[in-house]
Amino acid sequence: MTGGLQRVASTILLVGVSFLLTALILWGSGYRVGDIFSGVIQGSMTATGAATSSIRWAIPLLLIGMGVVIGFRAGFFNIGGQGQFYVGACCALAVSLRWSDGPAPLVVLCGTLAAVVAGLAWSLLPGYLRVRFGTDEVLTTLMMSFIGALVLQYLTAGPLRNPSGTGQTAASERIPEAFRITDGSGVSATVLLLVGGVAVLVWLLLERTRFGLAMTLVGRNPTMARWQGVDVRRVGLVNFALSGALAGLAGAVELYGPAGRLVTGFSPEVGFTAVVVALVGLLSVGGTVVAAVFFGGLQSAILFLPIVTDLPPPALVLLHGMVAFLVTVKFRAVRLRRAGPASEAPTG
Amino acid sequence: MTVPSSPASAGVPAVRCRSLGVSFGSVRALHRVSLDLAPGQIHALVGQNGAGKTTLAKVLGGLQPADTGDVHIAGREIPPGDVRAAQAAGLAMVHQHFSLPPSFTVAEALELTAARPGGRPVYRRAELHGRWRDDVAEIGGEAVLSTRIRDLPVETRQSLEIVRAMAAEARILMLDEPTALLTPAAIDALFERLRRLREDGVTILVVLHKLREVAAVADTVSVLRDGELVLGPSEMSEVSQGRLSDAIVGPASQADRAVGVEAAPGTEQQTLLELARVSSRASAFEPGLGSIDLSVEAHEIVGIAGVEGNGQRSLVSVIAGLNAVTEGSVLLGGTDVTRAPPARRRLRGLRLVPFDRNSEGISRRAPLWLNQSALRLIGRRRRRLPLISLRQYKRKAATEMDQWRVRYDAVTQPAESLSGGNVQRLILSRELAPGLQVLVAAQPTRGLDFSATSFVRRSLRGLRDAGAGVLLVSSDLDELFELSDRVLVIYGGRIVAGFEAPYDRRAVGDAMTGARR
Repeated sequence: MTGGLQRVASTILLVGVSFLLTALILWGSGYRVGDIFSGVIQGSMTATGAATSSIRWAIPLLLIGMGVVIGFRAGFFNIGGQGQFYVGACCALAVSLRWSDGPAPLVVLCGTLAAVVAGLAWSLLPGYLRVRFGTDEVLTTLMMSFIGALVLQYLTAGPLRNPSGTGQTAASERIPEAFRITDGSGVSATVLLLVGGVAVLVWLLLERTRFGLAMTLVGRNPTMARWQGVDVRRVGLVNFALSGALAGLAGAVELYGPAGRLVTGFSPEVGFTAVVVALVGLLSVGGTVVAAVFFGGLQSAILFLPIVTDLPPPALVLLHGMVAFLVTVKFRAVRLRRAGPASEAPTG
Repeated sequence: MTVPSSPASAGVPAVRCRSLGVSFGSVRALHRVSLDLAPGQIHALVGQNGAGKTTLAKVLGGLQPADTGDVHIAGREIPPGDVRAAQAAGLAMVHQHFSLPPSFTVAEALELTAARPGGRPVYRRAELHGRWRDDVAEIGGEAVLSTRIRDLPVETRQSLEIVRAMAAEARILMLDEPTALLTPAAIDALFERLRRLREDGVTILVVLHKLREVAAVADTVSVLRDGELVLGPSEMSEVSQGRLSDAIVGPASQADRAVGVEAAPGTEQQTLLELARVSSRASAFEPGLGSIDLSVEAHEIVGIAGVEGNGQRSLVSVIAGLNAVTEGSVLLGGTDVTRAPPARRRLRGLRLVPFDRNSEGISRRAPLWLNQSALRLIGRRRRRLPLISLRQYKRKAATEMDQWRVRYDAVTQPAESLSGGNVQRLILSRELAPGLQVLVAAQPTRGLDFSATSFVRRSLRGLRDAGAGVLLVSSDLDELFELSDRVLVIYGGRIVAGFEAPYDRRAVGDAMTGARR
């Protein structure tokens, strides 16, 4: 397992380097780096409610990140988590507002199901294009994300807008309090059980089922998988469906949990951060859980920092970007190295 | 260990190395190899897969630093791992895998990769073509210069690699297994080129697999076994074939026994595989199939002979279910599977040894156990719980790989760490598991060494004796004649002739080339 250890160590090193580079940039811009980092510690762990807030932000990252891990396992770079997350939340919202007098458990269940199906559908379209026509899923999932964001904007500014709202950004009406599965903190036993259960199920699927192994084979060498009788298209479709379903679920959890209503452009980069989370988590389920908590802490710190320093929030987003950049470079380098000299397939 | 070459070549050896040693971790790739290659001759280097041939070639070419020992090219000492020094001394290499960029035209690729002095950063097309016109005179002339590399036939690409290597006026040319991908006719042409280079005074070191090829082209032969030079360089006229094969295989490793394979019981159905008037669409590389009738009975090996690219790949793909059939039907054990997906055919006992074992037969980056277990992923579920035990999978894979004598350290190591022969054993251990009814083996011994080849052939015979049916697609006529009960010839996507033993080599050859329709 030395290879595994080495990979973990190099990833931790990368995150460390990202911190260092960010510190350098902030220091060069005239900020007091010591204060900022103590603010990060406070905002993610030690301040009142900070730990809960870290977990709250870790939850959507973890759910969407699981979807990314599943995608990568079969060789798909499904980065459309953001849009799938939005349409999931929108569908849950529509169900909850239209049926606001229904029995709470039933409505929440239906709303969650609607979110899962919506996320799934949002991901299945690029999935179908990929397995049927070979369309690059990086482009299509990304484009679908923008459409998802516009759907959210349309709903919150149009049909589902709160008419009495006075805020500058369009927001929907609140769902009834009875439907909420957490208080405003966004963390409750229900949600933790749900997310923990999802992580365990995903791990079992990937590591302990024949379908999971078939996905691994497809991800490593689809040609060989086809020769071995694996239905590569079916594996691809199911794979995209699962990724999307998890992101849709994250949308429902967001609505019924901390949000209670939807605001145009809420959690704007959670779907993309989730890709970084999965990469930093070395595309394993356990690693992604750890990485999600780490990035949840960062997100929490980003929101806390303006309280203790004069640092604008985007400054710490720089750190995200840095980690994303370095991890992607490393990931690409590994892939290129592994690809090795391409042997020519003899025609025969 | 070193036999001085013929007294005639008393001058400075073109290549000289002394007690070279290279280790990769615990594996000893080369051990105390000392070698003198006389100038102006064709020297063959032979040995089994993993004997150290490629490593030796790389060390001599400066691509791989040696741990011990030294290398002299044309009398000059080459610092370990210094490619440029080796090139400057007049050495050029042609690698096992093609190195020219597929999307470039021939002229562009040559300009980019060949070390010819006097290059400029910008060219007009005519100038560029003028610069390379003479070099490609033998492989199609100026017309070939504007062809893209990927559109060239395999043998032209091979020739182009030699053109590239020779562009810097090399005096010593090394070729690593240049014949592996070539048809017999292209091999003859290659050897002719090598002889002409020899006439021009070029020293050639060529890594080869087949003794027949060694006998056809080499002046001297050297044998590597387990990283040691066990023979040579010896004049070809002084070594018998028997002594050569003994040197290659060694005393101990004849231990492989024939592997008996149990066929599925209750095979009352005699015709195991049947194609009735099957046609398919042409692919980018090959003609489609034209109304093919073919059957494989139990206890039978049916050989498919043909010049490569005449529909062999289409045929195997259609049987495997990877290519659609436009007309006709495919039957497995009497059941129509024309429209059945690959998985259902596999479950009916169809097993495949694909053409390209490294890209179609295994997943190079996946662990051995997963490669070995691939067929267990598609069967019907036996238990209610979908969960499986990885430990059981790994143990099963280890047992079966041991049975087939795959040499490996751990079932978790990636398949790319195995040598060619071992990869084929891994594939056989998976495909020849119980449940097999029909095996379609495509080029099952291509690129394998003597012992691995004879092991594969014994396994195919064992299968037939156990009652299975085998369809053997091969471009090696000797292999087809040795193993097959019948040989069919495919030409332009059609079966044009059928033969039974004793085979008339000439007649089969005529049918293969379309001389007899």
